[in-house]
Amino acid sequence: MTKKIGVYVCECGANIAEKVNIDKVIAAVSPIKDVTVVERHKLLCSEGGKEFLKQSIEENGLTHIVVGACSPKQHELTFMNVCEQAGLNPQLFQLANIREQCAWVTPDGEEATDKAIRQIRAAISRVPYHESLDKKEVKCSPDVLVIGGGIAGIKACQLLALPDRKVYLVEKTPSLGGKVKNFNKLFTNMESGVKLIAKEIQPLLENASVEVLTESEVKQILGFLGNFEVTVTKKAEDEELNFSVGAVVLATGFELFDPAGLPQYGYGKLDDVYTSLEFEEMNSPDGSTGGKILLKNGKAPESVAIIHCAGREEKGYCSKVCCLYSFKFDNMLKSQLPAAKISHFYSDLCIPGKTYQKFYEDTKGTGVEFVRAAKTEVTGSGKGMTVKYETQTGSKGDLTADMVILLPAMEPSSDAQKFAEMLNLARDKKGFFVEEHQLLSPVASAVEGIFVVGCARGPQSIAESIVQSEAAVGKILSALVPGKKLELEVRVSEISETLCTGCKTCIDVCPYSAITFDEARKISAVNEVLCHGCGNCAAACPSGAAKLKHFTFPQIYQELEQALR
Amino acid sequence: MNGESGTGKKGQNAAVLVIGGGIAGIEASLLLANSGRKVYLVEKASYIGGNVIKLEEVFPNMECATCMIAPKQQELLQNENIELLRLSQVEALSGSPWDFSVKIKRKASYVDSENCIGCSACFDPCPVEVDNEFEERLSKRKAIYIPCAGALPNVPVIDTDNCLRFKGKDCKVCQEACMFEAIDYTQQDEELEIKVGAIVVATGFESFDPSKITQYGYKKFDDVYSAMEVERICASNGPTQGQILLKNGQEPKSLAIIHCVGRAEKGYCSSVCCMASIKIAHFMKKKLPDIKITHFYSDLCIPGKTYQTFYEEVKESGVDFIQATVTEVSPSGKGLGIKYKTEDGKENTLAVDMVVLNPAIEPAADSPKLAEILNIPQDKNGFFNERDPDLSSVTTAKDGIFIAGCTQGPKDIAETVAEAEAAVGRILSLSR
Amino acid sequence: MEEDEFKPKIVGFLCNWCSYNAADLAGAAKLEVPSSLSIIRVMCSGRVDPVLAATALLRGADGVLIAGCHPGDCHYREGNYYARRRFALLKKTLETLKLESDRLMLAWISASEGQRFSDVTNEFAKQIKAMGPNPMKKRISL
Repeated sequence: MTKKIGVYVCECGANIAEKVNIDKVIAAVSPIKDVTVVERHKLLCSEGGKEFLKQSIEENGLTHIVVGACSPKQHELTFMNVCEQAGLNPQLFQLANIREQCAWVTPDGEEATDKAIRQIRAAISRVPYHESLDKKEVKCSPDVLVIGGGIAGIKACQLLALPDRKVYLVEKTPSLGGKVKNFNKLFTNMESGVKLIAKEIQPLLENASVEVLTESEVKQILGFLGNFEVTVTKKAEDEELNFSVGAVVLATGFELFDPAGLPQYGYGKLDDVYTSLEFEEMNSPDGSTGGKILLKNGKAPESVAIIHCAGREEKGYCSKVCCLYSFKFDNMLKSQLPAAKISHFYSDLCIPGKTYQKFYEDTKGTGVEFVRAAKTEVTGSGKGMTVKYETQTGSKGDLTADMVILLPAMEPSSDAQKFAEMLNLARDKKGFFVEEHQLLSPVASAVEGIFVVGCARGPQSIAESIVQSEAAVGKILSALVPGKKLELEVRVSEISETLCTGCKTCIDVCPYSAITFDEARKISAVNEVLCHGCGNCAAACPSGAAKLKHFTFPQIYQELEQALR
Repeated sequence: MNGESGTGKKGQNAAVLVIGGGIAGIEASLLLANSGRKVYLVEKASYIGGNVIKLEEVFPNMECATCMIAPKQQELLQNENIELLRLSQVEALSGSPWDFSVKIKRKASYVDSENCIGCSACFDPCPVEVDNEFEERLSKRKAIYIPCAGALPNVPVIDTDNCLRFKGKDCKVCQEACMFEAIDYTQQDEELEIKVGAIVVATGFESFDPSKITQYGYKKFDDVYSAMEVERICASNGPTQGQILLKNGQEPKSLAIIHCVGRAEKGYCSSVCCMASIKIAHFMKKKLPDIKITHFYSDLCIPGKTYQTFYEEVKESGVDFIQATVTEVSPSGKGLGIKYKTEDGKENTLAVDMVVLNPAIEPAADSPKLAEILNIPQDKNGFFNERDPDLSSVTTAKDGIFIAGCTQGPKDIAETVAEAEAAVGRILSLSR
Repeated sequence: MEEDEFKPKIVGFLCNWCSYNAADLAGAAKLEVPSSLSIIRVMCSGRVDPVLAATALLRGADGVLIAGCHPGDCHYREGNYYARRRFALLKKTLETLKLESDRLMLAWISASEGQRFSDVTNEFAKQIKAMGPNPMKKRISL
């Protein structure tokens, strides 16, 4: 194919023209082989400029375009669109930055002109090596798999259950509701968790778009965004179910740190030392005491000690909600046992946000005692227990208590490891799943199409878990539209089948797990759906098989050669 | 981009109004636009990025805030589905849920954004210099200006309160300096009426004014700063280009950071200030390794899986944390003296060169007006109320109107972004 | 004599998200950047194959600069960590070719650090000028 390169130098008003001698630039580049057209224009990004460019491309039948102007970050897209409108593949274009990185930073006019000539020559040498990259699309399933039937999973299903997509909710226990179904009260309004779950589940059971699979476990998930293949084992029927989904929401919840590992609290040794979940169960109408707060000897406690941060030092993080639900416990205790003496032992009160401080103050106002203690110890005495404490300033004290409630750290559920392996999800040192970006993408995991919400992600409240489920829904509904295909990034990597030696170095360095290994042919291949186009594989590949489209070695080399002339 | 602008069910208009161009508004706009919806992003300032672009680093990973948010900002400005209305505010709301009619007042910028190429040639000639609010008044700007280097969109605006021409003088030096005929004094304020199906309110936060606590000496004594001022001082594109200097031009040898400023007055914990204070300490230690830093706090609020690790790292680097109430900050010798009382009742003093006050977070100053227009209840502090506070923070009592970020209550960036995405989740689920 | 005529040729590989942005910002602020520097844009500092940098030096570049995001800020998560490792290795290799390893520089420059970009490039250009021309230029004819 005969190349016809068009070169356009923008004056950018006076921004470029007053420093760079454009006539000299034109004279320097006109003789270059294959350069057919060389023009200057006052302001190429203006409507008039763009029209001028489009017409010039069409009239001259140009095959490649170079523009010397501002930064590609400003107008690469603008001029690529013009090329496309003129019938030219937008990738056959290169923008030489002769404003921000030349005219504006080089005081001497002659040096600025030389530099501009160098940058434009580099673009002219590079552009013939560009490939016409065509937009690609891939089919995707709009259906979603939600793993975990707790409040987070339930909420995700509710919002996803739309007539044009199916949602599969997989829960390993026989009932939906997770931990919340056992909570008699929720903070701060003291509403019933039992009733909440019943209310939230109802629409799911009635919705034809939702398939609820209780007593079921996910056996395997293969594939990628838009195209996951799922296998679920239905334990009761001893059957396997296979289906495709476009996205997966992981909502596997939490467990409590086992305080048996903290001998100073006497958990498991002394009769009436309970974890918070055990206390919740005691208060649950379906619990072993029918909802009554009782000691092991059947009597109601007269004094209760609540010990915060059990396991915080061992785990190394604050579990965020324990202070808050401990005030809820105060409410529950006071409502059943108005005369009970309640004392809290804590290190720092974690009550962030617009309502929680008032919640704390109201609770304190009912006569609950709060002791800031650096160290706490529970010992058994003849009647009940003694809580010994030491404050940060060193003073010591003790208190008798019939009942001790420990607030243990929240850990990810024991399933986390299984799903981390199955889905190739990274977990941090604390065992929680790592987000794609802790601040800007808090519910997406590092694997595209897989979302992690609720306490699987980190300790948090019901309200926050629900927000995250809604957020995951937002990301899923935005990306996976029924009937539409997924548009892929064009400047992605590609691995030559003939040159690949199967060393897998590229797989090791890819931050997006976008490269898979074909065991049969012993070569690596890039999944264009997952590739973000960083080029790390291309840099690492020892045989030159991996290349990043639009940033290949030959293309970059052309720029290099011109820089060194 | 990925689908056509879908028409909803009967009575459900597909377009969405996002009020506020900070990180929450940006995230919501992008997610909606990428699903094919038309978005009107109304921002009262001349720039997008809200409070996040004022920060140099963000916790807990000390990531560069501008680097982090720049790709999102650029994507937003180039997205054809998003119409950014700067210098704009919502004036009135009518219609019904999923079928709203909104009146917007757009103030004239007097700069034609089609012609302007952002060369900044108009700044130099302007004879007016005023305090730059973006830089917390630590430096000056002209009457025609962009708030800081790198602010987007890179199109200046004329501050008519201070511009000589708009005060009656015949000055046109900026227009004369512009080679692109981008300055247009004839521009008028506009009133637009748009039809949208849903609204996301993401108006962000402001800081409690520390001068209300007179005993801390803010604006009275030299070298007592608010956290936001320190953020600008630390910023590489800020008034001192990241150099930390006292008023006398020397580097501080000691620093006190006081948490919870205004907490008792406001009655709530602002959630992020402990972490922001620890971040400031971390930055200061990096820039001035020998500086002695002491924090004064009431309760350390460092919830979640990553924050405690960061706190411990900073503490280990030799930063002190004292649980105490600061009773007074006053001049002492060549610097400042802090009087404080610990929980056991003991009083003590500490001499430092520099004091940073970390104030409570408040909703944007014009929240009450907006709440009234949208008919959404607020709490006594001005935060917008959710419909079910214990359940979801993004839905309001009004169908079709959602809130996200610090509009709802003080929170960090991760929670803010999650709420923005949650609002979109609700919108896309409830209206197709 | 040669010193007066020595006009260094420095090649800079800048990552699209951070350092390229910083270079643009230096431009917007009208700071000075050495005219001896030619900038090549890549998406990530991790894209820069050591072979590219070595080729640049062997083809006569007096200095090669690779600039990326600060550790932890890489737009592609880890690309800059790989860049750091690769170039630590390349520097060692250059010594075996009798090339001063200081001709290769790796710098972390964030998107908002326009001033830093100007400072780093000017300092590097000064260093290279003081080092003199690339010894390869005498040995290899192009």
